[in-house]
Amino acid sequence: MKTAMRTLIVALLYLQTHAVLADRMQLDINYLLARFDAGGNDEFSSNKAIAIRHNYFFRDWLASDLSLLVTDKAYDDTRQDVVGYYRAALQSQAILFGMKLRHKAKSPYEAYGRLGLQYWRTELEVEEYFNASIPGGTVTADDSGYGYYIGIGGAHYITDSLTIQLEFLHMKQLDLFEGSSSQPFDLGINALSVGLGYRF
Amino acid sequence: MYAEANLHDTVEDAQVAAAVFIDGEPVNLVGGDIFAASTETDSTLLLSRGYYDGTYSASLPMTSLSDIFIQVIHEPIEAREDRWYPVDLVNIDPGPGELVGTSATISFPPEIIITSPTEPVKLFSINDTIELTWVPAGMGDNMRALASVECTDGLAVTRYGVSADINDDDGHEILSLSNIIFDSREGAPVLNFISEAALVLLQDLLNQLSAGNIDPDYVYRNTDANPAESTCDIRIFVQRLREGIFDDAFDSGSVTGGRSTEIQAQYTAFNPLDN
Repeated sequence: MKTAMRTLIVALLYLQTHAVLADRMQLDINYLLARFDAGGNDEFSSNKAIAIRHNYFFRDWLASDLSLLVTDKAYDDTRQDVVGYYRAALQSQAILFGMKLRHKAKSPYEAYGRLGLQYWRTELEVEEYFNASIPGGTVTADDSGYGYYIGIGGAHYITDSLTIQLEFLHMKQLDLFEGSSSQPFDLGINALSVGLGYRF
Repeated sequence: MYAEANLHDTVEDAQVAAAVFIDGEPVNLVGGDIFAASTETDSTLLLSRGYYDGTYSASLPMTSLSDIFIQVIHEPIEAREDRWYPVDLVNIDPGPGELVGTSATISFPPEIIITSPTEPVKLFSINDTIELTWVPAGMGDNMRALASVECTDGLAVTRYGVSADINDDDGHEILSLSNIIFDSREGAPVLNFISEAALVLLQDLLNQLSAGNIDPDYVYRNTDANPAESTCDIRIFVQRLREGIFDDAFDSGSVTGGRSTEIQAQYTAFNPLDN
């Protein structure tokens, strides 16, 4: 599975780097409000993220999609159990490779969808506090791996080359800490983003 | 340390509760120190925290009647097993605390066989009594009644738990309803409200009897309605108790094994306008 995903990403990256030679490109910058879901009893607060995206349009409706996404640290609720107080946090970076499909209406609007694969690096941080005599501390671990993403959005053309965008993005990071822990988990990230796009 | 296990007559699991006190104040076990309860065939960690600091509970399968060995152990990974993240990779282990290694053994007395009442009792005055008879065991065990009370006046609900001592295991006791139902207009009630680990144990028993369909704070004293002027469902758990044995490390506290059975009663406030 990992080998297949790696091959796909390399192929997409090859297409992307060769496509840059052409002149039908778009550069976006997006501000995201993201929510993490680790699949357990976690309750992460919303956090911020930023993404920079490059598209090359092979056809009017089809483009390659290359993105770099960096999230802020997302905090789970502070909880207490039989061990003590604890709070977990996650922070992630990802490179996204895929395809973008769009439908451009006659009006200055377009709708689009994106899907593809991602290579992520995510850090888990846990703060623990026991009591005044045993103060606890902070411990971290990180992992990297593969996953996928899918997004749907719309854009409004302010000028022929400048757009504003609104998008919903779902990303899934698979098998975090598999191999190093007996409790691996998948991390889902849902994000609503606004952005600016520049066609050139 | 306080440790108690109860085996109810209609439940296959024993309810185990424990609490730690230092200088009379409840304290939490922390850092992976945790109570473990075991028989020859089963074991469990007391992972459920009670309403009060330092109180813990769990259910322990009892395929046959046997003693329960309860011990404070240090298990930094297993104690965190309810957390969602990889606790075997990310955890801070401060090492065993001073209570680790201490233990006690809980033995169970004979079961209780109630001979009356065998049907739910209806009561209409807090001065009423319940005449309780059972088959005495004659083995010098103590007796106790734990009552879970839920009252409603049609608008508000009151819930609490009380305990009442039963003098001897002689097969006969008169339970006064005034030790179970109180009138909030007469100031602070003088009932023997259950506290700390015994309350945790009662909560755990009620939870098992209802197959988990009970609020997690069911018996934690919510007094919005005046019980004396309400209709109250009363579940009385009659317990036979046997003192257990601490190991040498403890110089105070109690360890108890109990067998219980239930009788039910309903109190309805007298309304002079009713026929």
